[in-house]
This record gives sequence, structure tokens and C-alpha cells, in this order.
Amino acid sequence: MSKSYDEIVSLVCDTLVDAGSTFREDKKEAYKKAIEKETNDKARWVLEQILENAEAAEENKSPLCDDSGIPHLLLEVGEDTPVTGKTLDAIREGIVRGLRKLPGRPMGIMGGDSERIDQSGGLDPDSAGVAPAPILLRRCEENVLRLHILMFGGGPAIRAKTYRVFHKHNTQVVLDEIVSWATQGVKELGCSPCTLAVGIGRSHFEATAMMLQAQADGRYDVQSEMEEEITRRVNEADIGPLGLHGNTSVIATFLKVGPQRASGVRIVCVRPTCCFEPRIATVELS
Amino acid sequence: MKDLTTPISEEDIASLQVGDTVTISGYILCGRDAVLPKVIKMIEEGRAGELGADIKGQVIFHTAVSPAGVGPTSSNKLEIESSIAPLSAAGIKLHLGKGALHEETIAALDTYNSVYAVIPPVTALLGKKTTEQKVLAFPELGMEALHLIKVDKYPAIIGAAHGRSIYE
Repeated sequence: MSKSYDEIVSLVCDTLVDAGSTFREDKKEAYKKAIEKETNDKARWVLEQILENAEAAEENKSPLCDDSGIPHLLLEVGEDTPVTGKTLDAIREGIVRGLRKLPGRPMGIMGGDSERIDQSGGLDPDSAGVAPAPILLRRCEENVLRLHILMFGGGPAIRAKTYRVFHKHNTQVVLDEIVSWATQGVKELGCSPCTLAVGIGRSHFEATAMMLQAQADGRYDVQSEMEEEITRRVNEADIGPLGLHGNTSVIATFLKVGPQRASGVRIVCVRPTCCFEPRIATVELS
Repeated sequence: MKDLTTPISEEDIASLQVGDTVTISGYILCGRDAVLPKVIKMIEEGRAGELGADIKGQVIFHTAVSPAGVGPTSSNKLEIESSIAPLSAAGIKLHLGKGALHEETIAALDTYNSVYAVIPPVTALLGKKTTEQKVLAFPELGMEALHLIKVDKYPAIIGAAHGRSIYE
């Protein structure tokens, strides 16, 4: 049974607030395990602060981080679930209301192309002035319309990298490059421990889309061999929480490998998401 | 654990070592990419008195101030890190943010007996410890204006002092 316009608006609004204020249960467990294993006192203190902050944000339904993020949307469409322009309008209105309710940081830049680049157009004082990124759409097996809302912060965007890797017909070459990029990115981030979001595709767009889907599909308690290897090797760099050293630079890796082409090149996207990301919540709209 | 209250004395700063855990209380300044170059320009023009607060012994927290709260942005962003030496020369005693700084910046902090401290990005917890806030200068910058806030026991770790860095 399809939901009304107003019902979709309300669901999307509340889901955005959840995304910006709540750790998923598997993430809380991953942090608790990391605290148990961490041997560096300062690193453990930081991890405890992050978990305590998550509990406070969830209780208050307030932002986990003052950089409340840019909404990124992944819409999953089942066999008989229609998506109309009005559906997209309702989702957009729900995002607007959610940003005001959270409240999101009012960091949208006003003005024309040049003014938006150099920030001379000024800041929109409305939290809802932060426009969402273009919606990513994919088919799902269940007969539902499902929306994932992810809030992307600025720090990981500065340190993320999307580039080509000549794989030499050896997966290990690609993994080595991912570990190298991730280690550099985590060192520079300042908001570790990270969850590494990695996508591999045939174009920059596809690799980035895979990186986003990896965050929607990834679980802290289910890690592949490649994901475990990346996490372990970056953790060996002794970067630690906030870069203060320790065993916990990376909590987990979420890797999604898309279709590939007959070529010596793979396009890889590595986003070292911060200690609060993926900030994600999911809702069914049908 | 050392408790620091603004304005911070030269002696308090001299006693701090890399890795020390501290709390920070009192009125502190907040500014980041957009406003810090403007503040430095005012200081260079001899107009520091127009900022609305005495910066001697002060803390500058690298954050925006918005309805979403406060939290450190990366202190090694170009416009922020380049502010650390001139602001230290002008009397700022503690720069509060996150991320590793370059060697030249760490040396400049030592020259002016100032330090850099790292604060966890725990916005929900910091909200409970922030009791007042107001815009001091450049209100047109919105959340990036120069703000003055009153804080109670913000937790931090000394990240750079006396020519040393915790990131070494």
C-alpha cells in the first residue's frame, strides 16, 4: 500500500534526524569492542568520549557532530513500487524539514556559480539551505520503496581520493594502493577512527556510487577477507583515534566492487569516513 | 589533569607538556577559515581593540558556532594553520582544534610560548558544557563569524608545545 505525500515527508524528516544523531547497533558494538582492545590510554579515552557523545546525541536527537553533513540519498525500488515526480518532491520536502528539525548546520552558500565557489554570496541562515546531493537509485529484491539517508561531512571529503589503479592482473596490487591511500587519508583526517568506504568501478562516477552503496550495505559484524586485510594493515600504522596513536585507526572497511571492464585499469574511490560516519538511517516509503 | 581558565597565564602555558590532558573553562573565542584572516588583518592594522574582546591570554577554538553546536574543524586547513603564528604573536595562548600541524607552525608556537590542543569532536557533549555565546565581529559570516562562548571544562589533550608534537 503506497504512502501519502504527507506520510512520506514525515518519514523522511524523522529518518534524516536519526541519520544525523544515531549510531546503528552494530556500530555501538564495534566501538565497545575497540575500547576493550585498545591499549593506549589516550586512544581509549577518545573512543569512550565518541561513544558517550553518540549516546547523548541519540537521547537528545541532536547532531553527532557540528558538521551535520550534506544529505546523500540512495533510493531502492522494488518490482511494483512506482516512483513519481511527486514522490521525489515529498522526499525533498522531508529533507528540508529534517534539516530544520535536527537542526543541521546552516552552511549552504548563496549566489551564482562564481559566488558559490568563492563563498562571496554569503551563507543561507536556514539549515534547509543545504541542498541534498543527486539521488542514487537502484533496484531491490523486496517489493518496497526504501530510502537510505547518509550525511556526508567535510573532513572525509577533503581526504577522499578517486583515481585509477593499474592492477597488473593482481588484486593485491589494488589492495596495496587502497591501503596506501587510506593510511595517508586517515593520518590527515584528524577525526579518526575511520570506517573506510571503498568503491571500485569503471568510471569515477561508478566508483563513487559504489563507495556510497558500500556505506549503505556494509556491516561492522560482517567483514570480508579483503575488508579485514585493509582494516588490519591501516591499523598497523599506529595513527589511532584523533591521530594520537593507538591500535584503533580504523573500525572497519566497507568495500563494494562493481562490474569491471576488460582493461588494465580499475577506478578506485576511497573515502576515510570520520568517527561518526557512516551517519545513515533507512526507511521504507511504500 | 590540569584545569585551565581564561585568560591563561604565561606560567600555565610554560608548564604544559605534549600529551597532558587538560580542561578549559571561561570565555573563549571561536573562529575558522573565513574569519581568521580578517582578524589577523585587523590586528596588523592596529585595530585589535575593535574585536570586542582582549585576545591576550585567550583561547581560539577552530569551530563554527551554529544551531548544530560546536566541534573542531581541521586546524591544518590553509587559512586556519596560517593564522596560528600571527595570533600567537598577538597574545593567543592556546589554539584548540584537531589534526597534525606542520613543523614551522609548531616552532612558531614555541617562539611565542603558545600551545595547540586537540579536542574530540563530541558536539553533543560540548553542548552541555557551553553556557553562553555571542557574535563578536563579522556577523555577515554567519556561523563562521568571530564568536565568544563561555565553556565549562572542555576536555582536551595538548598536541603541540615547546617544539614537540604528539603526532611525531
